[in-house]
Amino acid sequence: MKLPTAKLGYTAAGVTVFAALLVPFILWGSFTKAFAGLGLHVDEVYSGGPKVRTIQLAGYAIDVHRPVTPHMLQSEKPFVQLDWRPAKALPPHISDVVDVDGDGQPDLRVEFDVLEDAKAPLRVNVDALNSHYESMRDVGKQKFSSLIVRVDDAILVRVPLASK
Amino acid sequence: MASKALVHRPSQPAFRSAGKSALLTLPVLLWSLLMFARPFADPQASVKIAVGIATVFMVTLFFMMMRTWSTYRWRRYFFVALGLLFPVGFIHNVMVMRGTMGIPIEEMIAGRTPFCFIPIPLLILPAALTKTLVFPGSILPHGGMSGGGMAAMAGLWLAATIVLGKGWCSYACFFGGIEEGMAAVPTRAKVKKIDPRWRYGPWAVLLVMVLLSLALFEPAYCMWLCPFKAVSEYVAARDKVGMIQNGIFVVLFAGLVIALPLLTKKRTQCAFFCPFGAFQSIFNKLSVFEMRIDKARCTPCVLCRNACPTMSLTPESIGRGETLMSCMKCGACVDECPKDAVVWHIKGTDINMNPERARLMFLYAAWALAIPFAGSIIVDGLATILHVFV
Repeated sequence: MKLPTAKLGYTAAGVTVFAALLVPFILWGSFTKAFAGLGLHVDEVYSGGPKVRTIQLAGYAIDVHRPVTPHMLQSEKPFVQLDWRPAKALPPHISDVVDVDGDGQPDLRVEFDVLEDAKAPLRVNVDALNSHYESMRDVGKQKFSSLIVRVDDAILVRVPLASK
Repeated sequence: MASKALVHRPSQPAFRSAGKSALLTLPVLLWSLLMFARPFADPQASVKIAVGIATVFMVTLFFMMMRTWSTYRWRRYFFVALGLLFPVGFIHNVMVMRGTMGIPIEEMIAGRTPFCFIPIPLLILPAALTKTLVFPGSILPHGGMSGGGMAAMAGLWLAATIVLGKGWCSYACFFGGIEEGMAAVPTRAKVKKIDPRWRYGPWAVLLVMVLLSLALFEPAYCMWLCPFKAVSEYVAARDKVGMIQNGIFVVLFAGLVIALPLLTKKRTQCAFFCPFGAFQSIFNKLSVFEMRIDKARCTPCVLCRNACPTMSLTPESIGRGETLMSCMKCGACVDECPKDAVVWHIKGTDINMNPERARLMFLYAAWALAIPFAGSIIVDGLATILHVFV
Protein backbone atom coordinates (compact mmCIF):
# COMPACT_ATOMS: atom_id res chain seq x y z
CA MET A 1 0.00 0.00 0.00
CA LYS A 2 1.47 3.31 -1.03
CA LEU A 3 -1.19 5.70 0.23
CA PRO A 4 1.09 7.79 2.51
CA THR A 5 3.50 8.39 -0.36
CA ALA A 6 0.52 9.03 -2.63
CA LYS A 7 -0.65 11.75 -0.25
CA LEU A 8 2.83 13.22 -0.26
CA GLY A 9 2.91 13.06 -4.05
CA TYR A 10 -0.41 14.81 -4.45
CA THR A 11 0.56 17.40 -1.85
CA ALA A 12 3.77 18.10 -3.76
CA ALA A 13 1.84 18.31 -7.03
CA GLY A 14 -0.63 20.74 -5.45
CA VAL A 15 2.22 22.84 -4.11
CA THR A 16 3.76 22.84 -7.59
CA VAL A 17 0.54 24.12 -9.17
CA PHE A 18 0.28 26.77 -6.43
CA ALA A 19 3.93 27.73 -6.99
CA ALA A 20 3.24 28.14 -10.71
CA LEU A 21 0.49 30.62 -9.86
CA LEU A 22 2.86 32.47 -7.55
CA VAL A 23 5.65 32.79 -10.13
CA PRO A 24 4.44 36.02 -11.82
CA PHE A 25 3.54 37.66 -8.51
CA ILE A 26 6.15 36.58 -5.96
CA LEU A 27 8.55 33.83 -6.97
CA TRP A 28 10.03 35.45 -10.08
CA GLY A 29 10.67 38.73 -8.28
CA SER A 30 12.05 37.01 -5.19
CA PHE A 31 14.46 34.85 -7.16
CA THR A 32 15.50 37.84 -9.25
CA LYS A 33 16.27 39.85 -6.12
CA ALA A 34 18.10 36.90 -4.59
CA PHE A 35 20.25 36.52 -7.71
CA ALA A 36 20.97 40.25 -7.85
CA GLY A 37 21.97 40.10 -4.19
CA LEU A 38 24.60 37.41 -4.69
CA GLY A 39 27.31 40.04 -5.12
CA LEU A 40 28.24 38.90 -8.61
CA HIS A 41 29.66 41.33 -11.15
CA VAL A 42 29.99 41.35 -14.91
CA ASP A 43 33.45 40.46 -16.22
CA GLU A 44 35.55 43.61 -16.29
CA VAL A 45 36.78 42.86 -19.80
CA TYR A 46 33.25 43.83 -20.80
CA SER A 47 32.38 46.43 -18.14
CA GLY A 48 35.80 48.13 -18.03
CA GLY A 49 36.25 47.80 -14.29
CA PRO A 50 35.27 50.25 -11.56
CA LYS A 51 36.00 53.97 -11.89
CA VAL A 52 38.76 55.00 -9.50
CA ARG A 53 39.06 58.75 -10.04
CA THR A 54 38.03 61.65 -12.24
CA ILE A 55 40.26 64.22 -13.91
CA GLN A 56 38.36 67.48 -14.31
CA LEU A 57 39.23 69.51 -17.40
CA ALA A 58 37.73 72.67 -18.91
CA GLY A 59 34.11 71.77 -19.74
CA TYR A 60 34.52 68.00 -19.58
CA ALA A 61 36.03 65.24 -17.45
CA ILE A 62 38.03 62.05 -17.86
CA ASP A 63 37.03 59.07 -15.70
CA VAL A 64 39.93 56.73 -15.02
CA HIS A 65 39.06 53.08 -14.36
CA ARG A 66 41.04 50.50 -12.43
CA PRO A 67 43.31 48.48 -14.77
CA VAL A 68 41.69 45.24 -15.91
CA THR A 69 43.62 41.99 -15.95
CA PRO A 70 42.03 39.24 -18.07
CA HIS A 71 41.66 35.75 -16.63
CA MET A 72 43.48 32.58 -17.59
CA LEU A 73 43.22 31.97 -21.32
CA GLN A 74 41.28 35.11 -22.20
CA SER A 75 42.61 36.41 -25.47
CA GLU A 76 42.60 40.09 -24.45
CA LYS A 77 45.57 42.00 -23.04
CA PRO A 78 45.42 43.84 -19.70
CA PHE A 79 44.10 47.37 -20.27
CA VAL A 80 42.96 50.55 -18.61
CA GLN A 81 39.75 52.35 -19.60
CA LEU A 82 39.41 56.14 -19.79
CA ASP A 83 36.02 57.81 -20.34
CA TRP A 84 35.70 61.29 -21.81
CA ARG A 85 32.33 62.76 -20.82
CA PRO A 86 29.96 64.32 -21.47
CA ALA A 87 30.43 63.66 -25.17
CA LYS A 88 28.24 66.64 -26.06
CA ALA A 89 30.61 69.03 -24.26
CA LEU A 90 33.78 67.72 -25.91
CA PRO A 91 35.65 69.93 -28.38
CA PRO A 92 35.88 68.73 -32.03
CA HIS A 93 39.42 67.45 -31.42
CA ILE A 94 40.78 65.94 -28.22
CA SER A 95 44.48 65.97 -27.49
CA ASP A 96 44.89 65.33 -23.79
CA VAL A 97 47.83 64.28 -21.68
CA VAL A 98 46.50 61.94 -19.01
CA ASP A 99 47.97 60.99 -15.66
CA VAL A 100 46.44 57.55 -15.38
CA ASP A 101 47.90 56.38 -12.07
CA GLY A 102 47.61 59.71 -10.25
CA ASP A 103 51.30 60.03 -9.44
CA GLY A 104 51.51 63.55 -10.91
CA GLN A 105 53.44 62.37 -13.98
CA PRO A 106 51.88 62.20 -17.48
CA ASP A 107 51.36 58.64 -18.69
CA LEU A 108 49.54 58.94 -22.01
CA ARG A 109 48.81 61.40 -24.77
CA VAL A 110 45.41 60.61 -26.30
CA GLU A 111 44.19 62.15 -29.55
CA PHE A 112 40.90 61.65 -31.35
CA ASP A 113 38.32 63.57 -33.31
CA VAL A 114 34.86 63.96 -31.81
CA LEU A 115 32.43 63.50 -34.67
CA GLU A 116 29.01 65.13 -34.61
CA ASP A 117 27.33 61.93 -35.77
CA ALA A 118 27.17 59.81 -32.62
CA LYS A 119 27.11 56.61 -34.70
CA ALA A 120 30.14 57.48 -36.83
CA PRO A 121 33.18 55.24 -36.26
CA LEU A 122 35.88 56.79 -34.11
CA ARG A 123 39.67 56.38 -34.41
CA VAL A 124 42.22 57.09 -31.70
CA ASN A 125 45.98 57.59 -31.43
CA VAL A 126 47.64 56.98 -28.09
CA ASP A 127 51.28 57.76 -27.29
CA ALA A 128 52.59 55.99 -24.24
CA LEU A 129 54.71 58.41 -22.24
CA ASN A 130 56.13 55.68 -20.04
CA SER A 131 56.79 51.98 -20.36
CA HIS A 132 53.67 50.83 -18.51
CA TYR A 133 51.40 51.38 -21.50
CA GLU A 134 51.34 50.51 -25.18
CA SER A 135 51.00 53.10 -27.90
CA MET A 136 48.15 52.72 -30.40
CA ARG A 137 47.88 54.11 -33.93
CA ASP A 138 44.56 54.69 -35.73
CA VAL A 139 42.68 52.17 -33.61
CA GLY A 140 38.91 51.65 -33.91
CA LYS A 141 37.04 48.92 -32.04
CA GLN A 142 38.55 45.59 -33.04
CA LYS A 143 39.38 44.33 -29.55
CA PHE A 144 38.04 44.83 -26.05
CA SER A 145 41.53 45.75 -24.79
CA SER A 146 42.36 48.42 -27.38
CA LEU A 147 39.50 50.49 -28.69
CA ILE A 148 37.59 53.72 -28.87
CA VAL A 149 33.79 53.63 -28.79
CA ARG A 150 30.97 55.92 -27.89
CA VAL A 151 28.69 54.57 -25.16
CA ASP A 152 25.75 56.79 -24.29
CA ASP A 153 27.19 60.18 -23.38
CA ALA A 154 30.83 59.16 -23.04
CA ILE A 155 33.68 58.29 -25.36
CA LEU A 156 35.61 55.32 -24.02
CA VAL A 157 39.25 54.65 -24.82
CA ARG A 158 40.91 51.43 -23.72
CA VAL A 159 44.70 51.39 -23.71
CA PRO A 160 46.57 48.08 -23.38
CA LEU A 161 49.14 47.77 -20.63
CA ALA A 162 52.63 46.86 -21.75
CA SER A 163 53.80 43.32 -21.11
CA LYS A 164 56.28 43.10 -18.29
CA MET B 1 0.74 -4.79 -9.55
CA ALA B 2 -1.93 -2.19 -9.03
CA SER B 3 -3.78 -2.27 -5.75
CA LYS B 4 -7.51 -2.92 -5.96
CA ALA B 5 -8.10 0.00 -3.60
CA LEU B 6 -6.82 2.41 -6.20
CA VAL B 7 -8.88 4.06 -8.89
CA HIS B 8 -8.39 2.40 -12.26
CA ARG B 9 -8.56 4.44 -15.40
CA PRO B 10 -12.07 4.29 -16.85
CA SER B 11 -12.30 3.42 -20.50
CA GLN B 12 -12.39 6.83 -22.07
CA PRO B 13 -14.87 7.97 -24.68
CA ALA B 14 -13.31 9.54 -27.76
CA PHE B 15 -14.16 13.01 -26.47
CA ARG B 16 -14.73 14.45 -23.07
CA SER B 17 -18.05 16.31 -22.91
CA ALA B 18 -17.91 19.91 -24.10
CA GLY B 19 -19.40 21.15 -20.84
CA LYS B 20 -16.87 19.38 -18.64
CA SER B 21 -14.04 20.42 -20.96
CA ALA B 22 -15.22 24.03 -20.71
CA LEU B 23 -15.40 23.77 -16.94
CA LEU B 24 -11.85 22.41 -16.77
CA THR B 25 -10.73 25.24 -19.07
CA LEU B 26 -12.39 27.96 -17.02
CA PRO B 27 -9.42 28.48 -14.64
CA VAL B 28 -7.15 28.88 -17.66
CA LEU B 29 -9.51 31.45 -19.17
CA LEU B 30 -9.59 33.44 -15.93
CA TRP B 31 -5.82 33.22 -15.58
CA SER B 32 -5.39 34.40 -19.18
CA LEU B 33 -7.64 37.40 -18.60
CA LEU B 34 -5.71 38.27 -15.44
CA MET B 35 -2.27 37.84 -17.04
CA PHE B 36 -3.11 39.61 -20.29
CA ALA B 37 -4.90 42.53 -18.61
CA ARG B 38 -1.75 44.64 -18.44
CA PRO B 39 -0.64 44.22 -22.09
CA PHE B 40 -4.28 44.78 -23.13
CA ALA B 41 -4.08 48.23 -21.54
CA ASP B 42 -1.52 49.19 -24.20
CA PRO B 43 -3.00 52.01 -26.29
CA GLN B 44 -1.87 50.48 -29.61
CA ALA B 45 -4.63 48.67 -31.47
CA SER B 46 -2.16 46.09 -32.82
CA VAL B 47 -1.24 45.05 -29.25
CA LYS B 48 -4.88 44.85 -28.18
CA ILE B 49 -5.71 42.62 -31.16
CA ALA B 50 -2.62 40.49 -30.51
CA VAL B 51 -3.63 40.04 -26.88
CA GLY B 52 -7.11 39.01 -27.98
CA ILE B 53 -5.76 36.48 -30.48
CA ALA B 54 -3.24 35.10 -27.96
CA THR B 55 -5.93 34.70 -25.29
CA VAL B 56 -8.30 32.87 -27.62
CA PHE B 57 -5.40 30.77 -28.95
CA MET B 58 -4.10 29.64 -25.55
CA VAL B 59 -7.55 29.01 -24.07
CA THR B 60 -8.74 27.12 -27.15
CA LEU B 61 -5.68 24.90 -27.12
CA PHE B 62 -6.24 24.04 -23.48
CA PHE B 63 -9.92 23.35 -24.17
CA MET B 64 -8.93 20.98 -26.97
CA MET B 65 -6.47 19.24 -24.67
CA MET B 66 -9.33 18.64 -22.29
CA ARG B 67 -11.85 17.68 -24.97
CA THR B 68 -9.66 15.24 -26.89
CA TRP B 69 -7.51 13.87 -24.01
CA SER B 70 -4.55 14.63 -26.25
CA THR B 71 -1.70 16.85 -25.06
CA TYR B 72 1.05 16.76 -27.65
CA ARG B 73 -0.72 17.87 -30.82
CA TRP B 74 -2.30 20.93 -29.17
CA ARG B 75 0.78 21.86 -27.21
CA ARG B 76 2.68 21.69 -30.47
CA TYR B 77 0.56 24.46 -32.00
CA PHE B 78 1.42 26.67 -29.03
CA PHE B 79 5.08 25.72 -29.09
CA VAL B 80 5.52 26.24 -32.83
CA ALA B 81 3.76 29.61 -32.60
CA LEU B 82 6.14 30.55 -29.79
CA GLY B 83 9.18 29.44 -31.78
CA LEU B 84 8.12 31.28 -34.93
CA LEU B 85 6.91 34.48 -33.28
CA PHE B 86 9.85 34.94 -30.93
CA PRO B 87 12.30 35.87 -33.71
CA VAL B 88 9.70 38.19 -35.26
CA GLY B 89 9.31 40.28 -32.11
CA PHE B 90 12.94 39.99 -31.06
CA ILE B 91 14.49 40.93 -34.39
CA HIS B 92 12.05 43.81 -34.74
CA ASN B 93 13.03 45.14 -31.31
CA VAL B 94 16.74 44.73 -32.08
CA MET B 95 16.41 46.56 -35.38
CA VAL B 96 14.45 49.40 -33.81
CA MET B 97 16.83 49.81 -30.88
CA ARG B 98 20.18 49.34 -32.52
CA GLY B 99 19.58 49.04 -36.24
CA THR B 100 21.40 45.73 -36.67
CA MET B 101 21.17 42.07 -35.63
CA GLY B 102 24.91 42.11 -34.99
CA ILE B 103 25.81 43.01 -31.41
CA PRO B 104 28.12 46.05 -31.60
CA ILE B 105 31.02 46.04 -29.17
CA GLU B 106 29.72 49.26 -27.56
CA GLU B 107 26.48 47.48 -26.66
CA MET B 108 28.47 44.69 -25.00
CA ILE B 109 30.51 47.24 -23.06
CA ALA B 110 27.31 49.03 -22.05
CA GLY B 111 25.93 45.71 -20.77
CA ARG B 112 23.05 45.65 -23.19
CA THR B 113 23.43 42.20 -24.70
CA PRO B 114 20.12 40.39 -24.23
CA PHE B 115 20.54 37.40 -21.93
CA CYS B 116 18.68 34.19 -22.71
CA PHE B 117 18.60 31.07 -20.55
CA ILE B 118 20.97 28.91 -22.61
CA PRO B 119 24.24 30.31 -21.16
CA ILE B 120 23.08 29.81 -17.55
CA PRO B 121 25.01 26.53 -17.03
CA LEU B 122 28.12 28.08 -18.59
CA LEU B 123 28.18 30.93 -16.09
CA ILE B 124 28.01 28.84 -12.93
CA LEU B 125 31.68 27.79 -12.55
CA PRO B 126 33.22 31.22 -13.26
CA ALA B 127 30.62 32.81 -10.95
CA ALA B 128 31.27 30.30 -8.20
CA LEU B 129 35.05 30.62 -8.42
CA THR B 130 35.47 34.35 -9.07
CA LYS B 131 32.04 35.95 -8.52
CA THR B 132 32.25 37.02 -12.15
CA LEU B 133 29.53 36.67 -14.77
CA VAL B 134 31.25 36.01 -18.07
CA PHE B 135 28.55 37.57 -20.21
CA PRO B 136 28.46 41.09 -21.70
CA GLY B 137 25.09 41.93 -20.18
CA SER B 138 23.93 43.62 -17.02
CA ILE B 139 22.63 42.06 -13.84
CA LEU B 140 19.73 44.52 -13.54
CA PRO B 141 17.84 46.34 -16.32
CA HIS B 142 20.13 48.76 -18.11
CA GLY B 143 18.15 50.10 -21.05
CA GLY B 144 18.34 49.10 -24.69
CA MET B 145 18.15 45.34 -25.24
CA SER B 146 19.23 44.48 -21.69
CA GLY B 147 15.59 43.61 -20.94
CA GLY B 148 15.12 42.67 -17.31
CA GLY B 149 18.81 41.91 -16.96
CA MET B 150 20.51 38.62 -16.18
CA ALA B 151 18.95 38.46 -12.71
CA ALA B 152 15.43 38.48 -14.16
CA MET B 153 16.20 35.63 -16.58
CA ALA B 154 17.96 33.63 -13.87
CA GLY B 155 15.03 34.22 -11.52
CA LEU B 156 12.50 33.14 -14.14
CA TRP B 157 14.52 30.06 -15.00
CA LEU B 158 14.79 29.01 -11.35
CA ALA B 159 11.09 29.55 -10.66
CA ALA B 160 10.05 27.74 -13.85
CA THR B 161 12.46 24.88 -13.22
CA ILE B 162 10.96 24.22 -9.80
CA VAL B 163 7.56 23.94 -11.44
CA LEU B 164 8.36 22.21 -14.73
CA GLY B 165 11.77 20.54 -14.43
CA LYS B 166 12.80 19.51 -17.93
CA GLY B 167 9.28 20.51 -18.99
CA TRP B 168 10.92 23.89 -19.60
CA CYS B 169 11.99 22.51 -22.98
CA SER B 170 8.37 21.86 -23.99
CA TYR B 171 6.52 24.81 -22.47
CA ALA B 172 8.97 27.67 -21.92
CA CYS B 173 11.87 27.46 -24.41
CA PHE B 174 11.33 30.05 -27.13
CA PHE B 175 13.71 28.37 -29.55
CA GLY B 176 12.58 24.72 -29.73
CA GLY B 177 9.35 25.49 -31.56
CA ILE B 178 11.10 26.09 -34.86
CA GLU B 179 12.53 22.59 -35.04
CA GLU B 180 9.34 21.07 -33.63
CA GLY B 181 7.50 22.76 -36.48
CA MET B 182 10.02 21.43 -38.98
CA ALA B 183 9.71 17.93 -37.51
CA ALA B 184 5.93 18.13 -37.97
CA VAL B 185 6.15 18.87 -41.70
CA PRO B 186 6.88 15.39 -43.16
CA THR B 187 4.35 12.64 -42.65
CA ARG B 188 7.09 10.03 -42.27
CA ALA B 189 10.73 10.20 -41.23
CA LYS B 190 13.19 9.66 -44.07
CA VAL B 191 15.96 8.80 -41.62
CA LYS B 192 14.60 6.26 -39.15
CA LYS B 193 17.70 4.63 -37.76
CA ILE B 194 19.60 6.97 -35.49
CA ASP B 195 22.55 5.79 -33.44
CA PRO B 196 21.40 6.02 -29.81
CA ARG B 197 24.83 7.31 -28.80
CA TRP B 198 23.86 10.68 -30.28
CA ARG B 199 21.81 11.12 -27.12
CA TYR B 200 25.04 11.82 -25.27
CA GLY B 201 25.69 14.78 -27.58
CA PRO B 202 24.11 17.45 -25.32
CA TRP B 203 26.13 16.19 -22.35
CA ALA B 204 29.34 16.32 -24.35
CA VAL B 205 28.56 19.84 -25.61
CA LEU B 206 27.65 20.89 -22.05
CA LEU B 207 30.89 19.53 -20.60
CA VAL B 208 33.10 21.06 -23.27
CA MET B 209 31.31 24.42 -23.20
CA VAL B 210 31.38 24.65 -19.39
CA LEU B 211 35.12 24.00 -19.34
CA LEU B 212 35.79 26.33 -22.27
CA SER B 213 33.70 29.09 -20.70
CA LEU B 214 35.73 28.77 -17.52
CA ALA B 215 39.06 28.71 -19.34
CA LEU B 216 38.34 31.46 -21.87
CA PHE B 217 36.13 33.49 -19.52
CA GLU B 218 33.49 33.99 -22.16
CA PRO B 219 30.11 32.36 -22.90
CA ALA B 220 31.71 29.91 -25.31
CA TYR B 221 28.46 28.42 -26.60
CA CYS B 222 27.04 31.86 -27.43
CA MET B 223 30.29 32.84 -29.12
CA TRP B 224 30.75 29.71 -31.20
CA LEU B 225 27.93 27.18 -31.36
CA CYS B 226 24.45 28.57 -30.73
CA PRO B 227 22.32 27.79 -33.82
CA PHE B 228 19.69 30.30 -32.75
CA LYS B 229 22.05 33.21 -33.24
CA ALA B 230 20.97 32.86 -36.87
CA VAL B 231 17.44 34.01 -35.96
CA SER B 232 18.08 36.33 -33.04
CA GLU B 233 21.35 38.24 -32.97
CA TYR B 234 24.94 37.39 -33.66
CA VAL B 235 28.44 38.57 -33.00
CA ALA B 236 29.01 41.65 -35.14
CA ALA B 237 31.61 40.43 -37.63
CA ARG B 238 34.53 42.75 -36.95
CA ASP B 239 37.11 40.42 -38.43
CA LYS B 240 37.62 36.97 -39.96
CA VAL B 241 36.96 35.27 -36.63
CA GLY B 242 33.56 36.97 -36.45
CA MET B 243 32.77 35.82 -39.98
CA ILE B 244 33.67 32.23 -39.03
CA GLN B 245 31.50 32.42 -35.91
CA ASN B 246 28.51 33.65 -37.88
CA GLY B 247 29.09 30.99 -40.54
CA ILE B 248 28.99 28.31 -37.83
CA PHE B 249 25.70 29.68 -36.47
CA VAL B 250 24.06 29.56 -39.89
CA VAL B 251 25.34 26.06 -40.72
CA LEU B 252 24.23 24.67 -37.35
CA PHE B 253 20.82 26.30 -37.68
CA ALA B 254 20.33 24.99 -41.20
CA GLY B 255 21.46 21.50 -40.18
CA LEU B 256 20.11 20.96 -36.68
CA VAL B 257 16.98 23.10 -36.72
CA ILE B 258 15.83 22.81 -40.33
CA ALA B 259 17.26 19.88 -42.28
CA LEU B 260 17.62 17.14 -39.65
CA PRO B 261 14.17 17.63 -38.07
CA LEU B 262 12.70 17.41 -41.59
CA LEU B 263 14.56 14.15 -42.19
CA THR B 264 14.15 12.49 -38.79
CA LYS B 265 10.94 14.01 -37.36
CA LYS B 266 12.95 14.57 -34.15
CA ARG B 267 13.92 17.73 -32.33
CA THR B 268 17.53 17.12 -33.27
CA GLN B 269 19.03 20.29 -31.82
CA CYS B 270 17.37 19.55 -28.47
CA ALA B 271 18.07 15.82 -28.55
CA PHE B 272 21.65 15.80 -29.79
CA PHE B 273 23.19 19.21 -29.18
CA CYS B 274 21.60 21.64 -26.71
CA PRO B 275 23.76 21.99 -23.56
CA PHE B 276 20.97 23.74 -21.70
CA GLY B 277 18.70 20.74 -22.33
CA ALA B 278 21.30 18.43 -20.78
CA PHE B 279 21.67 20.77 -17.82
CA GLN B 280 17.89 20.96 -17.41
CA SER B 281 17.69 17.14 -17.39
CA ILE B 282 19.43 17.20 -14.02
CA PHE B 283 16.48 19.12 -12.58
CA ASN B 284 13.96 16.63 -13.93
CA LYS B 285 14.45 14.67 -10.73
CA LEU B 286 13.15 17.67 -8.77
CA SER B 287 9.83 17.71 -10.58
CA VAL B 288 7.00 15.74 -9.02
CA PHE B 289 5.53 15.08 -12.48
CA GLU B 290 6.86 12.36 -14.78
CA MET B 291 5.86 9.96 -17.53
CA ARG B 292 5.60 6.28 -16.64
CA ILE B 293 4.90 3.10 -18.55
CA ASP B 294 2.46 0.61 -17.09
CA LYS B 295 4.30 -2.63 -17.75
CA ALA B 296 1.08 -4.61 -17.28
CA ARG B 297 -0.46 -2.86 -20.28
CA CYS B 298 2.64 -2.40 -22.41
CA THR B 299 2.89 -4.90 -25.31
CA PRO B 300 5.65 -3.42 -26.06
CA CYS B 301 5.12 -2.07 -29.57
CA VAL B 302 7.68 0.79 -29.16
CA LEU B 303 5.37 3.28 -30.87
CA CYS B 304 6.12 5.57 -27.92
CA ARG B 305 9.84 5.27 -28.57
CA ASN B 306 9.35 6.17 -32.22
CA ALA B 307 7.12 9.12 -31.33
CA CYS B 308 9.45 10.64 -28.75
CA PRO B 309 11.01 13.76 -30.31
CA THR B 310 14.11 13.58 -28.10
CA MET B 311 14.72 9.80 -28.06
CA SER B 312 14.04 9.69 -24.35
CA LEU B 313 12.63 6.17 -24.48
CA THR B 314 14.68 3.05 -25.03
CA PRO B 315 13.70 -0.62 -24.88
CA GLU B 316 15.54 -0.77 -21.54
CA SER B 317 13.75 2.26 -20.08
CA ILE B 318 10.40 0.94 -21.34
CA GLY B 319 11.26 -2.32 -19.62
CA ARG B 320 11.84 -0.37 -16.40
CA GLY B 321 8.56 1.47 -16.93
CA GLU B 322 10.13 4.91 -17.12
CA THR B 323 11.55 7.48 -19.50
CA LEU B 324 15.13 8.71 -19.57
CA MET B 325 16.01 11.84 -17.63
CA SER B 326 15.99 13.83 -20.88
CA CYS B 327 12.18 13.47 -21.11
CA MET B 328 10.66 16.93 -21.51
CA LYS B 329 7.07 15.95 -20.76
CA CYS B 330 5.68 16.89 -24.16
CA GLY B 331 3.16 14.05 -24.04
CA ALA B 332 3.91 12.59 -27.48
CA CYS B 333 4.40 9.09 -26.06
CA VAL B 334 1.12 9.19 -24.12
CA ASP B 335 -0.85 10.29 -27.16
CA GLU B 336 0.75 7.62 -29.33
CA CYS B 337 0.23 4.61 -27.06
CA PRO B 338 -2.69 2.49 -28.32
CA LYS B 339 -2.92 0.61 -25.01
CA ASP B 340 -2.93 3.62 -22.66
CA ALA B 341 0.18 2.14 -21.11
CA VAL B 342 2.18 5.38 -21.12
CA VAL B 343 0.72 7.75 -18.55
CA TRP B 344 1.26 11.04 -16.82
CA HIS B 345 2.29 10.28 -13.26
CA ILE B 346 2.83 11.99 -9.94
CA LYS B 347 5.78 10.60 -8.01
CA GLY B 348 4.80 8.57 -4.98
CA THR B 349 1.43 7.54 -6.39
CA ASP B 350 0.56 4.22 -7.91
CA ILE B 351 0.85 4.14 -11.67
CA ASN B 352 -2.86 3.42 -12.04
CA MET B 353 -3.96 6.13 -9.67
CA ASN B 354 -5.86 8.44 -11.99
CA PRO B 355 -3.25 9.44 -14.58
CA GLU B 356 -5.67 11.99 -16.03
CA ARG B 357 -5.52 13.85 -12.72
CA ALA B 358 -1.71 13.89 -12.98
CA ARG B 359 -1.96 15.25 -16.54
CA LEU B 360 -4.39 17.93 -15.46
CA MET B 361 -2.25 19.08 -12.54
CA PHE B 362 0.85 19.23 -14.71
CA LEU B 363 -0.95 21.08 -17.48
CA TYR B 364 -2.41 23.61 -15.06
CA ALA B 365 1.09 24.29 -13.74
CA ALA B 366 2.63 24.41 -17.22
CA TRP B 367 -0.11 26.62 -18.68
CA ALA B 368 0.01 28.90 -15.63
CA LEU B 369 3.60 29.70 -16.64
CA ALA B 370 3.15 29.50 -20.39
CA ILE B 371 0.38 32.11 -20.49
CA PRO B 372 2.23 35.04 -18.89
CA PHE B 373 5.72 34.32 -20.22
CA ALA B 374 5.46 32.48 -23.53
CA GLY B 375 2.14 34.25 -24.07
CA SER B 376 3.80 37.66 -23.82
CA ILE B 377 6.32 36.58 -26.48
CA ILE B 378 3.48 35.43 -28.73
CA VAL B 379 1.72 38.76 -28.18
CA ASP B 380 4.90 40.67 -28.98
CA GLY B 381 5.47 38.77 -32.23
CA LEU B 382 1.83 39.02 -33.29
CA ALA B 383 1.70 42.73 -32.49
CA THR B 384 4.82 43.27 -34.60
CA ILE B 385 3.12 41.65 -37.59
CA LEU B 386 -0.24 43.32 -36.98
CA HIS B 387 1.42 46.70 -36.63
CA VAL B 388 2.10 46.57 -40.36
CA PHE B 389 -1.61 46.40 -41.10
CA VAL B 390 -3.30 48.18 -38.18
